[in-house]
This record gives sequence, structure tokens and C-alpha cells, in this order.
Amino acid sequence: MNFDFSDDQKMLADHARQFLGETCTFDRLREFVASGEDYDRALWQQMVELGWPGLSVPEAAGGLGLGVLELCLLSEEIGRVLAPVPFFSTVCQAVPLLEQAGGEVADSLLARIAAGTCTVAVANPDQGHSLELGGNSCLDGALAPVAWLHCADVLLVTASETDGTAVLLSVELDQPGVQRERLAAQVLDSVSAWGAAHFDKALTTVLARGELVVALNHKLRLRSAVLLAFEQLGGADSACTMARDYSLERYTFGRQIGGYQAIKHKLADVRVAIELARSNAYYGAWALYTDSPELPRAAALARISGTETFTLAAEENLQVHGGIGYTWEANCHFYYQRARLLAVAVGGPDQWAAELLESIR
Amino acid sequence: MDFNDSPEEAAFRQEVKTWLAENAQAYREPLPLGPGDIRIAEMGREWQKIKARGGYAAISWPTEAGGRGATPIEEVIFAEEENRYHVPVGPFVGIGVGLAVPTIRAHGTPEQIEQFAHPTLMGDILWCQLFSEPAAGSDLAAVRTRAQRDGDDWVVNGQKVWTSWAHTADWGILLARTDPEQVKHKGLTFFLLDMRTPGIDVRPIRSISGESEFNEVFLTDVRIPDRCRLGEVGAGWGVAMTTLMNERANSTGESLLLPDVSSLVRLARERGLAEKNQRELAALYAREQGLKYFQARQLTALSRGEQLGPMSVISKLVFANVLQDGSAMGLDMLGLEAAFLATEDHRVTRFQYGYQWAAALRIAGGADEILKNQIAERELGLPGEIRADKGVPFSQLPVGR
Amino acid sequence: MNPQELNDWLATARNWLQEQAPDYSGKARQGLTMDEDLALGRRWQALKSDAGYACITLPRQYDGGGGTEMQKILFEAEEKTWDLPNTYFGISLGMPVPMLLRYGSEAVKDELLPKAIRGEHIWCQLFSEPAAGSDLAALTLKATRDGDGWRLNGQKLWTSWAQYSDWGIIVTRSDPTVPKHAGLTYFYLDMKSEGVEVRTIRKLAGESEINEVFFNNVYVPDSQRMGEVGGGFKVAIETLMVERYAVSDEACGGISAERFIDIAARARIGSRPALEDGEVRRLLADTLVERQGLRSIHRRAMEAIAAGHEPGPEGAIRKLLIAKRRLLLGAAAMDLMGPDALLYDSSAAQSNDPVNAWIEAPPIRIAGGTDEILRNTIAEKVLRLPQDHRPDKGVPFNQL
Repeated sequence: MNFDFSDDQKMLADHARQFLGETCTFDRLREFVASGEDYDRALWQQMVELGWPGLSVPEAAGGLGLGVLELCLLSEEIGRVLAPVPFFSTVCQAVPLLEQAGGEVADSLLARIAAGTCTVAVANPDQGHSLELGGNSCLDGALAPVAWLHCADVLLVTASETDGTAVLLSVELDQPGVQRERLAAQVLDSVSAWGAAHFDKALTTVLARGELVVALNHKLRLRSAVLLAFEQLGGADSACTMARDYSLERYTFGRQIGGYQAIKHKLADVRVAIELARSNAYYGAWALYTDSPELPRAAALARISGTETFTLAAEENLQVHGGIGYTWEANCHFYYQRARLLAVAVGGPDQWAAELLESIR
Repeated sequence: MDFNDSPEEAAFRQEVKTWLAENAQAYREPLPLGPGDIRIAEMGREWQKIKARGGYAAISWPTEAGGRGATPIEEVIFAEEENRYHVPVGPFVGIGVGLAVPTIRAHGTPEQIEQFAHPTLMGDILWCQLFSEPAAGSDLAAVRTRAQRDGDDWVVNGQKVWTSWAHTADWGILLARTDPEQVKHKGLTFFLLDMRTPGIDVRPIRSISGESEFNEVFLTDVRIPDRCRLGEVGAGWGVAMTTLMNERANSTGESLLLPDVSSLVRLARERGLAEKNQRELAALYAREQGLKYFQARQLTALSRGEQLGPMSVISKLVFANVLQDGSAMGLDMLGLEAAFLATEDHRVTRFQYGYQWAAALRIAGGADEILKNQIAERELGLPGEIRADKGVPFSQLPVGR
Repeated sequence: MNPQELNDWLATARNWLQEQAPDYSGKARQGLTMDEDLALGRRWQALKSDAGYACITLPRQYDGGGGTEMQKILFEAEEKTWDLPNTYFGISLGMPVPMLLRYGSEAVKDELLPKAIRGEHIWCQLFSEPAAGSDLAALTLKATRDGDGWRLNGQKLWTSWAQYSDWGIIVTRSDPTVPKHAGLTYFYLDMKSEGVEVRTIRKLAGESEINEVFFNNVYVPDSQRMGEVGGGFKVAIETLMVERYAVSDEACGGISAERFIDIAARARIGSRPALEDGEVRRLLADTLVERQGLRSIHRRAMEAIAAGHEPGPEGAIRKLLIAKRRLLLGAAAMDLMGPDALLYDSSAAQSNDPVNAWIEAPPIRIAGGTDEILRNTIAEKVLRLPQDHRPDKGVPFNQL
């Protein structure tokens, strides 16, 4: 039985945890929110220097050529610190999409990503319905909300040709035919940023067409579910640790609150949920890695456990902190809001529950 | 990352498979016994003898004791392969091999080891564990059964409860109080008790499901020779700790008789109730499957020669709670059908049995609350419980019910 | 007042609300800043006072209503069907004002009570501190004798509406050498006194009503002491008990079951309206069952009050359930909204907007008794289980 990550993979995760723990602190998150910056460019630059954007890009295209298992572990570490960078869309979503789509344009985009000169926003496949694709692959219409759309270099979006054929497009966002803005309304999760775009005869490149697009999107969805489950796991684990630490510092009625069973059992419940979520996430990683026919079931399991666990951990972390937990200064809100964001990010809990039950025969 | 055996594990598994194919043919079909039928214990002796001939009777024991010195992962592999057959294994044999003899080997005299180790290995001695009492469950050190010195003997009076397989056991390991004036952990002594001694009254407990492997054991002026004392007088708590350390949380019941979440989902679908309970069913299934993959991670750790951490207790904790929640949902879906115990429908009896057994399982071998304390204290590093009994002589503690 | 009279009185009150409330609620409040909304609230308070509907149980001579507990509960329930700017006065009139009525001198009551009841003044309650929340008696804000008065030094936390307050009631530690419940003294004080500094605390979202209040050698005359020196804990408990039965909104300020139905009717799961989804219907059924149960408990409490008895621990059950329910319904509605839920308008009403209902839910599970404390209350007061172990009992405060 070898159902675990290898020592090399764990070492990579340890390095990532150390690096992110030192750089991406709560203070930095608060500064980021106050600055109104699009994303944390300095942090992203450091990640580029570590080779993270090109982690799973083939070596031929300038990447590190590592696999999805390494990506799982990095996602967990990024989830732990809630890093405000377009890692998920660029590295977890765009890279495999481009790799599977293939072709010259895709290859050059992969090389740019690996070189750290390109960030990508990825629209959910069902968001492109209102876009119109005219002659010469010119795009018209509006798109929102998409994470990092206002600041990414490239957009990957699924649209339909006039005859209804699905096409996967790449759109260079810095062109006259694209008007973009950061969504002004308050975004629930303050350390992520969402954008809207308006296209007026925007130039695009068709990366894939027809059945291939449907297959790509299907795979994208399952892969996103597994990798997000790792982000959720990281967030849950770190919220649980934060609650534990606080329960040891805080005294009430002459005792550490962590000594009361009301708190001990609450945190034990969270810890148990994390252990189960971790096990399901690992199974998702295995299914993704081996491209198992079990992948739809494994992705749904990882996603359902991840959502339930992060929600529980974030809510109870705030609750354990008491009143202070509800203040901006206390940082509990970062997890509380992110948990809800991730719950709906690639299909909500109802949808995944239905798919999971479908897989049981 | 994979679910495969290492080469050594694969070789061991193959060896076991071959041996079982030659020796377990008689157990291809289910045993002709209902749940709770005690005849399984007698059958267990036979199977134990067969295993002993093949060298598999006590694979975790060191080779010099007649075992194989197997690693924990080899134990698991053997159990997995063995369970592909309908072999009569269970606590009736497991208590002796897994708990009593390892304790005797750690604390006993050469004579005691000589007397008990080999016969237990051969299935000639079956054991029961006389620890819990009406007022000593989670708080085991609160046992009140008294052992008083009388010449070369000890005279024991008291009551034990929840004693699995006491009705089939030849010997018992017994924890009794020899000095109530000491603080509670210090006045205990550990004994080996011949279950045929006069004064022992074993009464099966009728559980909520109407059948039981559990017993109450009443001890009235039971004489135990001092040579059957294990360890020093007053050192019983330390000896009992050895027993408890060997008690693995794998007593999850006869799984073939219990419903799983997949069967619950199928039932829900059949009754048109799957959609209504979609989120709840999915969450329950995710817990069940999460546990399955958690166990795969635990096996991986064993396979790598690592120690299991405090989280290993979740196997029973999660299993029991998923079983209770799932069985309750299943019974709800079955409606009035579920109200009749004498039903012929195999599926109905499974949910009924699951629901009843789960209630016991959430308590036995560490109640939910105790296990959560363990996770909170050992895994999360939260403070221990406040103990009102510290340093107080046992005789002065409040008794309650 | 017999039942018939009470009914007539309520009918009159209802008519009065029909006439007056529209100018002060709903649309009339849309787009107002907190300052503007507060000004509207002050006018509403004065109008109610003139009509005898402000502080119904307090005497008419102080511009209260001179009525009964029953009238107050009925009127407040009626008022809650409107969206009125009452929030600023909830604490002020709920606790400090009745305490002043009990402990203030005639002259002080004549001067201050009408101003508070008419909404000209706001009173705040300075109880909690950074290390004294659920465990109020652990507070450390120091009061030391200074001639005819006292000097206060320290910090209070979670003080709602302190930024608008004119007066406050405060519990202080006047003697750290005796066990913690015995060394407290209770005062009222002018929030404009020299040395009082109010800092508003940023919350997860929205404009904040909560503050830290710092006391730097603030002078309080001994005449403003309420109760004995060292008797402050008793007065503090009296304060918390003064409102015998708080009328809280069934949706706990979040989205109601009806609003959830409305959202579910428009959302889709797969190809069907979410309202047809079994899971959604089940959540809704649970919510309605719980609400009906709470209504029955409410009715029983009302009957107890009408018969002159003290209401039981129903309040603890009610708060425990409705706060959790608010979180559940908010999250469920957000799940139905999908990614749309991620963009939200923090000025939208919590009773209408699921995102605001959800994001503002956690403090309700904490403030005024955490879930954990409420469960202890139910275990101890209803089930008669023993208290948690308390190592602080009988130990001088400065040795803890």
C-alpha cells in the first residue's frame, strides 16, 4: 500500500509551506486589501522565480515538467495562506487546458506562462453563452464575473460559433477590442478580485472546436474540483490550527477555553472532518494522476468533503474566537469568506451531491 | 501514489493466498449460524488449530513465542485475505491472542507464560476480559470488584459487565481492587481467573436488539490462587495499560451484516427518496469513503514502518456514527416495514441490526466523548480534563449510581 | 387591562403604525448613511413618545408609555413587521434606561430619562473587555477613589453605538484583592467626560456599530455610583435580567423562510426550479417546523407573563436556534445563487439579501451569550446538570 505522496513531493510541499508562511502573512493580506492592487504582483513574481507557474508545463516548453500530484500539494499550501494570486486559473486550469488543446498558439502560451510573463483568467464553460463569435473569430458581448479577468493577460473562454459548435478561445486581453474593469461591487472574499469584460470585435484564437471542447471542459471541471479540494483542505487545516492556538491563549472562568469540552469536542469534530477530507482529496489526486475511470466519483467526493470541512472549520474558528473573531483585525474572516467562495466556485454543493449519488450503482 | 503492495507485501500476500486456498476450503460458504450464535466460538478453536499448523495462529507474536514476528501491515494483509473466506474469527479467539497473552508475556512469570501462551495459540484456551463494571466504564480505574487476601488465595467479590464471550471463555483476565485506601489507580491488582471456579455466574445481557455476545459476570467469594496474580500487588493499573495498548480499535462488528451507504443510496433511489435527501446522502457517503481512504493512508504508514498517531481512533468514531446515521435514514425510508423485527427481508434486518449495533459501538472500546477528548488532547494539544479524583483515596470518592 | 381592552389597544396601535410607520421605514431609509438613518430614528422615537408607544413599561412622567409588559411585547412584535430605524436605541432603552429608573435620583431621572426615551440621548453599556466576555466578572478596568469620586482607567470592548452615545453604564474593578465577583462597582457616566476615547472597530463587512472605549483617568463623581461599592456584579446581573423577555425577530434579522422561498422559486438546480428540489423543500420544512415550535414556546412565555410569572429559559433556546438557522438559510440561499453570491452590496438589508444575512450571522452566535454559554444555561437551568469546573471561585482576583 502506497497511498500517500512521495518524500520528494512532501519536501516540495514543506518548502512551499515555509516560503508562504514567511511571505504571505495575514498582515500582508490586509495590506493587499488596503492597497486595492489587482493581485499580489510581488508574491507572484517570487512564485515565478520558484518556477511554480511552469510547474506542470512540459520541460520542452520551459516548465518543470512535474505532475498533478505536485500541483495538489501546492494548492493545499496556497489554500492555507489564501494567497491573492491567479495561481488556480493560470496553473491549475489554463496549463492543462492548453496542453490538451495543443497547437502552436497553445504552446506559445504555455511557454509564456512558464516564463512567468503571462497570467490567465479562465471563464466557467457555461459563462460564454451570451458571447457571439463572428467572422475572423471576432468576439462580441460581455462576460462577468470571472476571477482576475480585469488584470490577467489572457482569457480562456468557451463560446459558440453561429451553428452552435462549441469553441475554446484564447483572447489576448490587452487589445483595443476589449474593455475591462474590476467589479466595483464588494466581492465577498476580499482577497480575491473579480473582473468584467466587454468585447467589441475582439481578436481571438480558436484553440479547439466541437467534441474536443466538450471533453476538455469535462476534464477541466473534474480537475478543478480536485485541486480546489486541496485548497479547501489547506484553508480548513490552517483555520483549525488558528482556533486551537487561540483556545490555548484565551482564559475564561479561570481556565483556558480549550480545556472545556464544549471547545475540545468542537475542535475534535473539525479535526476529524479534516482527516476525512484529506483522505478523499488524496483519492481525488490518485484518480487524477492515474486518469482513472473513477475520476468523476473521486472528484465529487473530494469536493463535497472539502466544502463541508472548510465551511465547518471556518465557522467554528470564528466561533471559538468569540467577539474578537468578527473583527477585521482578527483574521478569521479571511477563512470564513473564502470558504463560501470556494463552495460555489466550480459548481455548488447540490450539483456535486447529485453527481456523486449518480456514481453509486 | 498507488494502492499496490510493495514487492515484499505482494510476496507475503501470495503466500497467504496459497495457504488459504489449501486450508480454508471448508469455509467457502457462510457458516450456518445466525447473528449472536455462540457456537461460532467452538468453531473458532478448530480454525485456530488449522492456522497454528500453518504458522498463522498468532502472526504478530515474536517467533520465539511461536508467532511469525509479522509487521502490522502483514497482519492486515493476512486479515484481508482471511476475510475473503467465511472463517470463524472474532474476539472469542482474539482476546486471548491479541490481549491476554501479550499482557502475560510482558508481566508474567516464566511458569505463567508456559501455562498459557501455547494453549492459547492452539485455541485450547479461549479468554474473556473482566475489566468494565457498572460504575467503571470510560473511567476504568474506578473498578470496585474487591479481591481480599486469604492465605495463599485471593477472595473476589463484585460484578463485571459488558464481558464479551464470557460464556464461552475458559479463562479471564481480571482487574480488581486490593486496597481501597490507596488513590484509585494504585489500589488495583491484575489476576488470571479460571472461568470454571465456583462462585462465577455469567448472565447474558439482553441488549436492545434482543440478542447479545455481552454478559454480566457476578463474582461471589471466588477463590484465585496467588500464583494466578499477574504482576505485583497494587500494580494492576500498569498491567491493564499493557492490555489496553494492545486493544486495537478494530472491533467494528460483523461488517457483512451491516448496511453500507451505497445500499442506503440504492434504497433511497428505489423509493424515490434519493433526491430529497441528496445532500445528506452525499455527505454521509463522503464520510464513509473518506474513512476508507483514511484507512488506506494508515496502512501506507504501517507499510512504511511508521507508528500510527492519535488520529487512528477515528476509525471507530466515524464508523459508528456513519452506521447510526445511515441506518436511521434507511429505517426512515423503509417506513413501517422497519418496525417489524421478524422480517424475512434481509435488507430490513441489516438496517435494524446496524441501528442497534451502532448504539453499542458508539460506547464500547472508548465512548465518542472519550475519543474526542483523546483527539483534542493528543492531536491538538488541548488541556486534559479536570480530575476531581486526583490524590483522593478510593474509599473517599463520591460514588453516585 | 382585560383581554378585550388589550385587543382594542393593540388595534389602535396597529392603526397608528399604519399611518406613521411608512414615513420612517423601508423606502424612506433606502440609501441613507448611518448618520442620516440615526437622525430619522431620533424623530421616530420622539413621535412614538408623544403617542405613548416609546418605552411602554416606563412611567408617563418620563415620557414613557405607562403601560404593561404585555403591551410592550405586543407593540414591539407589531413594530417588527416594519423596517424601522430602531436599532440605535435597542440597548439604550433596553438596559441602561431601566437601570437609571431604579438607581437614579429624582432630579437625575427628571433630567435624563425623557431625553433618552425621546431618542435625544443614546446610552451605551460598557461591560465587556478584551479578557472579559462570557466571563464578565473577569473584567479589569480599574476604579480608584479620588476625593468625592473615582478615577477610571482601562479599556472596554464591543460597546455597541458608543460612537453616538451621550451616557453610559459601566462596571469597574474597585478592589482586586477580593474574589472576582466581589470586587466590582457599577456607575453611570457622561461619555463626553475628559479621557474617554471611542474607537470604532472594523467588522467583516458593512458599517460598524461596535467600538473599543479607552478610559484614561476619567473622573466619575461618587453620586453616579449605582449600588454598593463592591456590589457591581449584582447590579450588572440585574441589568442583564431587566428585560424579562426580549422580542426578537423570528428570522433573527436575516432572511425569513418566505424570502428563502422567494429566492428558491427563482433559482434553478439542473433544469428545474430550485423550489421543486427535494433537498430545498426539506430544509424549508425543517425551518418552518422549528419556527412553529418557537412560536409555541413564545406563546407559553406570553401566557406566563400575562399570569404574572417570570418567563423561563425560553430565551436561551430561542436565540440558540434562530442564530444557527439564520446562518443555515443564508448559506443555503447563497448556494442557490451560485457565483452571483460572490458579488454583494453591503448596504442591502440583511432581511432581504442572503449574503448580508450570512456574513452578519456569526456575531449573533457570540454576542449576548455564545452558543456554548447558552447550551450551558440550558443544561444547568433546565436540565439541572452541574456547573462547569470553576478554578476561579473564591480566589482573590489579583491572584488569578
